[in-house]
Amino acid sequence: MNSNIDEKFIKVEDMKTLKTHGVGHWKLQRISAIAMIPLVIWFTTSLMLTLMDGYEQSIEWLQSPFNATGLILLFGTLYFHAASGLQVVIEDYVHHEGLKIVSLILIKLIATVLGVLSILCVLKIFL
Amino acid sequence: MAEFALPKHSKIVKGIDYPLQSESENPKKVNVYRWSPDDDENPRIDSYTIDLDDCGPMVLDALIKIKQEVDSSLTFRRSCREGICGSCSMNIDGTNTLACLKSIEDIKGDINIYPLPHMDVVKDLVPDLTKAYAQLTSVKPWLQSDSRPEEGKSRKQSPEQREKIDGLWECVLCFSCTTSCPSYWWNGDKYLGPAVLLQAYRWIADSRDENTEERLNDLEDTFKLYRCHTIMNCTKTCPKGLNPAKAIGEIKKLQLERK
Amino acid sequence: MSEYEIIDHEHDVVVVGAGGAGLRATLGMVSGGLKTACITKVFPTRSHTVAAQGGIGAALNNMGENDSWQFHMYDTVKGSDWLGDQDAIEYMCKEAIPSVTELENFGVPFSRTEEGEVYQRPFGGHTLDYGKKMARRACAAADRTGHAILHTLYQQCLKHKAEFFVEYIALDLLMDDNGKCVGVLALCMDDGKIHRFRGHQTVLATGGYGRVYFSCTSAHTCTGDGNAMVLRAGLPLQDMEFVQFHPTGVYGAGVLITEGSRGEGGYLTNSEGERFMERYAPTAKDLASRDVVSRSMTIEINEGRGVGPNKDHIFMHLEHIDPATLHMRLPGISETAKIFCGVDVTKEPIPVLPTVHYNMGGIPTNYNGEVVTRKGNDQNAVVSGLMAIGEAACVSVHGANRLGTNSLLDIVVFGRAAAQRALKIVEKGASHAPLSKHVTDKILARLDKMRYAKGDVSVGEIRNSMQNAMQKHAAVFRSNSSMNEGVKKVDKIANSLDGVGIKDRSLIFNTDLVEALELENLMQQAIVTIKSADQRKESRGAHSHEDYPDRDDKDWMKHTIMWLNEKNKTKIDYRDVHLNTLTNEVASIPPAARVY
Repeated sequence: MNSNIDEKFIKVEDMKTLKTHGVGHWKLQRISAIAMIPLVIWFTTSLMLTLMDGYEQSIEWLQSPFNATGLILLFGTLYFHAASGLQVVIEDYVHHEGLKIVSLILIKLIATVLGVLSILCVLKIFL
Repeated sequence: MAEFALPKHSKIVKGIDYPLQSESENPKKVNVYRWSPDDDENPRIDSYTIDLDDCGPMVLDALIKIKQEVDSSLTFRRSCREGICGSCSMNIDGTNTLACLKSIEDIKGDINIYPLPHMDVVKDLVPDLTKAYAQLTSVKPWLQSDSRPEEGKSRKQSPEQREKIDGLWECVLCFSCTTSCPSYWWNGDKYLGPAVLLQAYRWIADSRDENTEERLNDLEDTFKLYRCHTIMNCTKTCPKGLNPAKAIGEIKKLQLERK
Repeated sequence: MSEYEIIDHEHDVVVVGAGGAGLRATLGMVSGGLKTACITKVFPTRSHTVAAQGGIGAALNNMGENDSWQFHMYDTVKGSDWLGDQDAIEYMCKEAIPSVTELENFGVPFSRTEEGEVYQRPFGGHTLDYGKKMARRACAAADRTGHAILHTLYQQCLKHKAEFFVEYIALDLLMDDNGKCVGVLALCMDDGKIHRFRGHQTVLATGGYGRVYFSCTSAHTCTGDGNAMVLRAGLPLQDMEFVQFHPTGVYGAGVLITEGSRGEGGYLTNSEGERFMERYAPTAKDLASRDVVSRSMTIEINEGRGVGPNKDHIFMHLEHIDPATLHMRLPGISETAKIFCGVDVTKEPIPVLPTVHYNMGGIPTNYNGEVVTRKGNDQNAVVSGLMAIGEAACVSVHGANRLGTNSLLDIVVFGRAAAQRALKIVEKGASHAPLSKHVTDKILARLDKMRYAKGDVSVGEIRNSMQNAMQKHAAVFRSNSSMNEGVKKVDKIANSLDGVGIKDRSLIFNTDLVEALELENLMQQAIVTIKSADQRKESRGAHSHEDYPDRDDKDWMKHTIMWLNEKNKTKIDYRDVHLNTLTNEVASIPPAARVY
């Protein structure tokens, strides 16, 4: 067991190089989660009160600056939260370094594209 | 990614059945994981039926009885038999615990015994804990202090300060918690696991230790600390009733406060 | 003989055992710059020091009682029933103060007083003013003091990057042709390879051999491997007849309930609900010395005043103590009582029974930790290259009966002393003389014989008969007839070891083989213990002889030393008790009647 300890100890020491983001990521994930609570409540309420009434009413709803701002905030937080959540899942389960990096970039890319796209859609209707 | 062929020695086969040699009013079947590195065979489950009227109350008593009377090749670690040395940690009835503290009476049906999950097996119920010990060393689990106490004098610590490390220093290093943590199963090479993080916090919380900042710096890592997803298996399984999840939460709280 | 792969290691010092004593010695040696190997059959924090509960004795005087090491020394000498060597006892009690302070500085999580000092509690036989009233001297970390100390010492060893060889079982000492110890041969349990450790000093810190008895508080691993290696090296063991029975082992399970629970106010009662210790020890009562309490309990049971359906045990009460105090000071035993006897200590008494707990005897050493033997008229001949510390050693600071808390003290004081001595006498990096092949071969032949043992009796069976014989014939009370019978029985059981059989032929983690080797070790100590007991015709400390109920200072104030040859034949001799003190800071304490 003796020699193994040295060997594995070095590996454990090497773990320092993995230091990328710790508390920052953890904090943002929780902040985005908390931010989504009022946004989701507001959005579901609107969904039931107005958005179920039909196309015209929905367009009208979206043209209010208050509603458009809210929706943009919701989309931003949602994609950010989804991306950081998926990042954790990938870090947990994908152990192949190359595959992991590719997946992480892809997720961030897709989230950004979807986020920008959603926001543009909102803006298009609003403007 | 996913491997579709199971690694060698993953398939567990049915092993030898050792029936009771004499009549008993109180028989109990004990199914034990057996594997030896000597031959190239798959692990097997051997079944031993024992007479509970002639056996001590704990699962460790049953294992010792089997080793003493039925099959002396059965291999497991044990020492103090009172829950303080942490040797006999294993998976009993689906839970990681110390065999010496686990009462047979509490188990309905057969007693199923496996080694601690997701660790390399040395033999039968003996896991290889080398990595866990190395991880313990990596958090520098000793008092670090630049100021020296007065020559020949103790450091002072009020009962209130001392109380802060209650529930932390009592850990027996059985690693029941660490090996019950799914995060540790998937990332045991990088995530420190609950037992080691509990020890890390034991020193952060000790008023005599002056290296809190550096300790927190060392733990500020997405893998070492933040693989903890608050699953709480650690706290649920701890045979000593300690709360590693809370200790990890405290570390996260401290990280947040200083940023 | 099978071919074994031998791996050689050269160190300045080799420590065998990683309990409190082994770790304290290793720490001192490594931090002093000696290349040290610490070999241990279990991971260090699993050693039995971890189970020590009540405290470590040192006259720190934190409770403001004007305690002093001279009182501590008096209590220890009296506790030893004047069989302890007073020079060594003086050394231990004086060094207790810096040694325990040092432990605090290392980071031991001691409980604290309101002033922030190390908390101290009363303990059996600890008194002020030479027996006038009870002292608070036991420095405690709740009721897990051993755990606190052992883990801290391991942590300090990690800090100093000590080299550990974990799960290696020591087979035998390497003794050269001049009778010098030059190292130890060990079997690595992980892969079955043989490791030859060479050291200029070999330190045995292998603990006690409680497992020669059926019911003991000792761990399964307490098999006295070092003691047996010393016997096989042709050296004697000392005072092996003195085996301490702890008054409060849990009835049935045998696990320990600390004396500290009586220190915190607990007391014993018999079937009549009487606090019987008041009769036997009017001053100290339940906190009399362990031998006294164990004997009193045994008398109560023998006279029909035991509790339970079979009237075969005694009750210990804690239910009158404030639950908050129990929670703070005795959390471990509250848990133990719950798990092992289903008792809620805040409501019911704990069923207890005197249980084998500690071996006062062991490898004779001086207060520097160096092993000594008797060569002709030289009673203190140092064995070159060999040291022993902790429960394995007999310094002798415990004499015929150890005082509670002096075992943790013994391990740190003499672990430290051994390190200091080694630093003085070992030349760092000095080369090792070649060792003739036959030394290793002889040890391997013994291993090989056991490994392929094909007999039809199992290790468990033989161990059981040995333990039962010892339990019956070397008990709290002993008599000529019982011990004579015991000697015959043990001899016969020892012979049956030739017929032992091993099932597991593997070399990887072969616990079947390890238990067989341990059984052989136990057996040799059982023989020496019962024969040492049989020849001592007096009652002293833990040795209560029904045919000779009094202490006989004229004929028996002497240490027994006993050798054992390969045919299990013993040879006996004696060493004088050191009545002299080490310095003139204290006067020798003359023998007196022992009243508590």
